[in-house]
Order: sequence, then structure tokens, then C-alpha cells
Amino acid sequence: MRSFLLFTLAAMTISVGDTVAKPPSAEFKVGEPFPSLVLPSLADGKPLSLAQFRGEKVILHIFASW
Amino acid sequence: MVGIIQEQHPDRARLFMQWKQMGWPILVDSLDLLGVMVVPITLAIDEHGIIRAVNPERESIEKSFLNQNYLAPQQQTVNTIKPPDLKKLKAGTAAGTASSWRTYADALVVWGAGNQLDEAVAAYQKAITVEPGHGPSYFRLGVAYRNRYESSARKSDDFQRAVEHWTKALDMDPNQYIWRRRIQQYGPRLDKPYPFYDWVPAARQEIQARGEKPEPLRVEPGGAEFASPLKAFASNEPARPKPDAQGRVLRDKEGFIRAETAFVPAAVAPGESMRVHLAFRPNLQRKAHWNNEVEDLVFWVDPPSGWEVSNRHLSVPNPKTAVSQETRHIEFELKCPPAARPGSVRVPSYALYYACEDVNGTCLYRRQDVVLEVQVRSPR
Repeated sequence: MRSFLLFTLAAMTISVGDTVAKPPSAEFKVGEPFPSLVLPSLADGKPLSLAQFRGEKVILHIFASW
Repeated sequence: MVGIIQEQHPDRARLFMQWKQMGWPILVDSLDLLGVMVVPITLAIDEHGIIRAVNPERESIEKSFLNQNYLAPQQQTVNTIKPPDLKKLKAGTAAGTASSWRTYADALVVWGAGNQLDEAVAAYQKAITVEPGHGPSYFRLGVAYRNRYESSARKSDDFQRAVEHWTKALDMDPNQYIWRRRIQQYGPRLDKPYPFYDWVPAARQEIQARGEKPEPLRVEPGGAEFASPLKAFASNEPARPKPDAQGRVLRDKEGFIRAETAFVPAAVAPGESMRVHLAFRPNLQRKAHWNNEVEDLVFWVDPPSGWEVSNRHLSVPNPKTAVSQETRHIEFELKCPPAARPGSVRVPSYALYYACEDVNGTCLYRRQDVVLEVQVRSPR
């Protein structure tokens, strides 16, 4: 758990994108399910979904490399 | 840890991940199907798929989320983990609804083969015809146009159409920063929040220093994507006098080289600037190619009175090979005078180059006049 936490915190410091004041993320609401979406994996283009991680807690980071 | 990336070129995110040595699973959402308005966003999602925190505090995440026990919801959704059935979605468009056309178009862009982009563009256009007020449709159509521009199915005005549709989307929702950034990525320096891909050279160096081979990029970033923001428009005086000032070099009537233009934004407001993108492509039907043993491709801009230009004289250095057929790109910026009226303005420019026809064919020095039709819009 601790090593996972350290990894997670490290990853969260590498957030890129807009760091100036921005509108709130109104589209994601606490208590609601994350939208079901099947998208290609960056690694190999195969279908990937958050549903594959059921049973595990997930820290989801939505970002861009710029 | 799982990621979702929101950018036009997913392979650049792959390079980024390699550089930062991050190995999480990443999903690609170039169309912004999630409807995210800005990045980065971090969500804490429990083991039942329920969002428990948005942008949680790093210091307390262990206590507030990781160590919590969450009850399963009464109704658990069953999610499929396979791509959509394209045939079924195509059949679904018989309903004629905007949603059915859009869903089909989305699937074609995300899961279809490269040669299905024509069909994706047509499907988005149908969706827009049925529901012209839906901003995401315009944004996604812009993505499809840009994807096609970078494919073998490219049409010469695809880049410009991408910009026009991203602009229409942003006009409908100016708070959509994902859409705004997609335009700014290619746009003028006065409107840039930051240089988008200036990290790429450093990333490659560091990766190579580690003894690894950098992830390849299908489309190299360039020009606008590296440019840093400016607070004031900068005009650079030409280092050389105007080439072929009297216009005596013969024009490229043979059509060895084809010039394509795109303006970002598509229309400029008085007092604001735009970035002009030019692509010079050898005519492959004539087996035309560049002759690299003489002078570089040179481009000259003659702005009308009152207009400012970042660079009047531009050039593209020849590669080391004697001949080549690559597309050559030139970018520069124009600033519109504050008193300009809405309408079309002609900005004369021309290119000078050496091009050869066929494998052992004639090599000729040619000029191509490129009249840039710049659109001036009313201020918002």
C-alpha cells in the first residue's frame, strides 16, 4: 500500500496541462459512477476500459503531454 | 494509477511517458468523448467504479480514500470491454438521428481503419445537419479532418477545415479549454499559453542518454507547436534583399510543386495576429522532386500597407541527399491592422525553388506565386 501510495503521489506531481485558474470540473460528480467508455490503449491500441479495474481503487489522471 | 490522454497526437504522449518513465495503463481520448473541459484532472475511483473525489489532496489521499471501505452500489452497471460493432452502428444511422450519426462517426475515428476517415467526416456532417447546435460534433469533425490531413487520404484543405470546425465549436462554448488548446497548438504566438511540444528534443536526448530508443512520432511537431508565447508582435527584418524582385524567374506552370495553405485562426480580428501554415509538396504524379544540390527553398511575403509580418524572408534548408520528395513546411505570422474592415485581404507571396521532373528529368529553377487570401472578421 505504501509503495503504491508513493508511486501515486509521484505521478500526481507530473501533471501537465493548464495550471492557471480554470473552471471547475463540473462534469465529474462525487458519488456517481465514472462514465463507461472503451478507448484504445496508448501502448498497443487494444480496447481498454476503467471497468477492467473493478475490484481495485484507481487514481485516474486525465492529462495531455503539453 | 490509470491515465487518459487528451491530445491530437497520442504517440507524443507515449514519448512523454517513456521520458518520465511512467508505465501506467493509458487510454486515448483524442475526440474528447469524456467531455472534459480542461486538464489535468485527477479522480479517485473506488473498487466499484464510483467517483469518490475530484482532484483529491495528495497529503490526505491515503486516509481519505485508499484506506476507506466503500459499499457496492445497489445497482452495479455491467460494462463491456470491447470496441463497438461498426456494422451495427452503421445500421443504426438508419434512424437518422444526430446521435446515431455521431456515435458511428466517433467509432470510425477511434476504431476504424485509416481509409474510413472519409466516411467518418461524412457521418459527422450528417450529425451536424440534423443538430447544428451541438458543439462537440464540430470539434470531433475537426479532429477527423486533421487526422485525414495527416493520412494518405489527405485532401489539401483538410487542415483549414479542421481549424474552422474547432473554431465553430469554441464559438459555441468558449469555456472549453480542450477545444481552445487544439487551435492554439497551431496558432499565433500572441495567443499561445505556452510552447506545446518544446519538451520533445530534451525528452529524446534524455531517453537516448539512458541507452533507450525514443518512441517514434508519426507526425513530428514543428513551428507553432514549439513556439513560445509573445506579449508583443515581433517583426524580423529580412537578412537578404527581396529575391527575384522583378519577377523574372519563370513560374512553375508545370506544377512540379503544389502549395497548400492554412490560416490559424481561420479569420483574424483587427489588431490580432494569425499563423500562416504552408506546405510545399512535390507532385508525385509527375515524379517531381527537390534538387538539393543548389539553393534552399526560399519564400517571400509582401504584406499590404498596415499589416505586419513576422518574417518577410523564410527558407527551408536542403537535406544532405542530392534529391528528395518530402513535404516542406513554412510558417509565419501576420498581424492585422487595428482599423482593418471585415472581408478578404490579399497578401502576395511567392516561393523560389529548384525542382526536377521524373527520375532523370529536367531540373528547373521556378517561382510559384502564392496569393494568401486572409479573412478579416469583426471583433467579438
